[in-house]
Amino acid sequence: MRFRTDLKNIRTFSKLVAALSSLEKIAWVRLDNDTVRFTVIPEMTGSQVWASLSLDLIFDNYHIQSAEANNTINLELALVPLQRALKSAANSSYANLRLTKRDGLPMLSMTIHTMTKDGGGGGGAAAAAPSDRDNLPRGTAGFNSTDPFADNFQQESLELTMKRELEKVITQDIPVRVLHPETVETIMQPKVREPDVHIQLPPLLQLKAISDRFTKLAMTTSSGGGGSKTSNPKLELSANMHGSLRLRLKAETLDITSVWTGLDNPALDPSHINMPMEEHPSVKFKEAGPEKWATVRVDGKDWSKVLSVGRLDGRVIACFADEHALILYVYVPHYEEVGEDVVTYYVSSFSS
Amino acid sequence: MAVLNFTLSEEGVSVFHDALACMFKFSDDVCLEARSDRLTLSTINVSRSAYMCCTFATNRFFSRYNFEGNAQYRDRFFCQLWIKSLLSVFRTRTGGGDFGRGDKDAAVESCDVAVDDGPGKKSRLVTRINCRNGITASHSLSFEPKAPTHAKFDKSTARNHWTISSRTLRQLMDHFQPGIELLDINTDDESRLVNFTCFTEKIQKRGANINEAVLKKPLHTNIAVEMDEFDDVEVQDKLHVIISVKDFRAILQHAQLTSGDLTASYGDPGRPMKLSYSRDGVICDFILMTVGEKDASIQKHKDSRAKSSDAAKAGQQAQPGLDSASQRPSSVTGKNVNQQTSERPNQPLSTPTRLPAVRQPGFEMRPPPLPAPVPAPVPPPGSARSDSLFVQQDDDQDQMWEPVNQDEEDEEEATDNSRLEWNATNEPNPSLRISSYLSKLRPEPSQDGPAEHLASGLDPTQRLSEVRPLGLFSP
Repeated sequence: MRFRTDLKNIRTFSKLVAALSSLEKIAWVRLDNDTVRFTVIPEMTGSQVWASLSLDLIFDNYHIQSAEANNTINLELALVPLQRALKSAANSSYANLRLTKRDGLPMLSMTIHTMTKDGGGGGGAAAAAPSDRDNLPRGTAGFNSTDPFADNFQQESLELTMKRELEKVITQDIPVRVLHPETVETIMQPKVREPDVHIQLPPLLQLKAISDRFTKLAMTTSSGGGGSKTSNPKLELSANMHGSLRLRLKAETLDITSVWTGLDNPALDPSHINMPMEEHPSVKFKEAGPEKWATVRVDGKDWSKVLSVGRLDGRVIACFADEHALILYVYVPHYEEVGEDVVTYYVSSFSS
Repeated sequence: MAVLNFTLSEEGVSVFHDALACMFKFSDDVCLEARSDRLTLSTINVSRSAYMCCTFATNRFFSRYNFEGNAQYRDRFFCQLWIKSLLSVFRTRTGGGDFGRGDKDAAVESCDVAVDDGPGKKSRLVTRINCRNGITASHSLSFEPKAPTHAKFDKSTARNHWTISSRTLRQLMDHFQPGIELLDINTDDESRLVNFTCFTEKIQKRGANINEAVLKKPLHTNIAVEMDEFDDVEVQDKLHVIISVKDFRAILQHAQLTSGDLTASYGDPGRPMKLSYSRDGVICDFILMTVGEKDASIQKHKDSRAKSSDAAKAGQQAQPGLDSASQRPSSVTGKNVNQQTSERPNQPLSTPTRLPAVRQPGFEMRPPPLPAPVPAPVPPPGSARSDSLFVQQDDDQDQMWEPVNQDEEDEEEATDNSRLEWNATNEPNPSLRISSYLSKLRPEPSQDGPAEHLASGLDPTQRLSEVRPLGLFSP
């Protein structure tokens, strides 16, 4: 079993991991010849995520080899150490990841080539300004104090003799478990019926700010009224096929609603639908007019965790199955090449 | 006439404060030792595995310095002080200086320190902070006449040494995850690299699910730095010395504040390591205990650490008694130390040979300030109070993506007394509750940034931190 790859788009990778880890600390990673898939399924209730990424989004020089079909390797890893390691790699000149063993335990070992922040890879000029003091040869400090202007002169003259900063090699070993194929074959991606409404969400930061505000309000009022503190507040989310999204909080004492209008209901690709277009539920919803809403209820706190995916800056399409399910497709943009990858959120929802 | 008398400049005050803040991560009290040419602050942690010493050259560091020997203190004056009280003397001033950059008047201009001691005199260390606006603040601190314990470091056995920019080293430490305990400084067999390896020996709870425990292990981090990056480097091949990460962090935190290059020298594993750096007239030395291979010796080290910390505690308790007995100080302390050294042959510290052998009979004996010198559960060296050196896990931009589900927030909500609710008391003014509730929701300027943004006529119940990311306000 071998796995080795260089890393690229570390910021995107890091943001994805951060978004995932807000839902659950442990993820299942499935690597094969074609894709890398991160799956997060909360132990208790909560939304689950299936992030299927093409290899060239975050990997480069990818090598994988295993006894399984399509060279599949299944790993379980803790997201926080991975995030930490990616943070280390954030400003690196080069980073790679490989599966290895240390003291008999499997590890994902990340090797990072980096400079310290004030070092800078370029010439002395770039690096000099804030840090030259640190790079003064020893022994000058004493000399310094005898001449009040010495500091200024030294900054200029010693730049030439300044030691060039060399690259450091950092190794971060992330503990992993190698999963047997049998243990994961029972984990299936949820199957959901064709959605009634699909709509592009407004900027998630906006949606999150308002959702969080509603959630906090609900928590304040329910605990103040002596209500049950055990269940988290539920938010009601509705959308129609005429570009509107409605977020509603209904509690004993208050009922507030935010509505977005003018949103896009993207057209469906007929090739992806195995039924006549006119029979598709969304078409029926569209015909029913703007008062036909598809509604689901989400847990306010869980929803907030889901919306943390906004840090990826992707386009988000929400698919509503009325009183049944909510699925978010987050399209992760590729910065260099054309193409998109999709992260799928199966948002846990509640019936009224 | 004061025994000791000196004046610190504005910068001197902050350098003093920084040094004391660093010492506070190791111990509760500091020994001050004054001679005519130098003033020394030193401290040693309770487990006696770390020692810090700052030496200030009197002619360079102080704006004015006068040591007046008297009968009791012929060549040197010494005393032991509470770091906490010294910190509070210097802290507010330097803090104020940073805060109001526009308000220069409140900044500290200088600080006069005078120590009075001797037969028939009140023994006090008196500080007077002079602010630019003419306000002076005086503090009078009591002290214990206790000779400093200095750790000895034998240079001849320290064959390994290197020098590197402390800032570089400090930034490298950022790559280590919180929760790690031990730092292994080692070399490979070709002597091209110096590795800094961080790991923990904490045994994971072997609960029902051992698999989960595997995943809960922290990152194992190794940083390889090329030999060329160091100045004046000479290190044996394949040498492993292990020190406490927390101590190392505390030192680097201070080192990067104070100066440029940090020099480390050490001998074989298990022998002490010395770290030092200097800056205009100030020399900082640290002597740390090291351990060797990371196997059983660590466990042993930990045990002996615990034991020796007990011993040290016992020693501390015994010491004041000794002082008052004043006759045979070396015997008990000696025994104490011997006991320690037998438990741990690598004890880095020399026997405190400089304990005052003979006390002046007329000396005013203060009752030992018990139970103060023995802080109840002694924290491991530098642990409990060391500030985190890590860069924040999330920068601001990331923060706003954090889910609302913060437990602290719940607690905050739970303890929020001004919640909107019916007034159970018979207070005649129920509307007051609501207004106080609103004011609670309103952003506090100190926390959430400049409050003038609110002038835009937005709903006052929005938290500013929530609204700002929407781009409604220009920052």
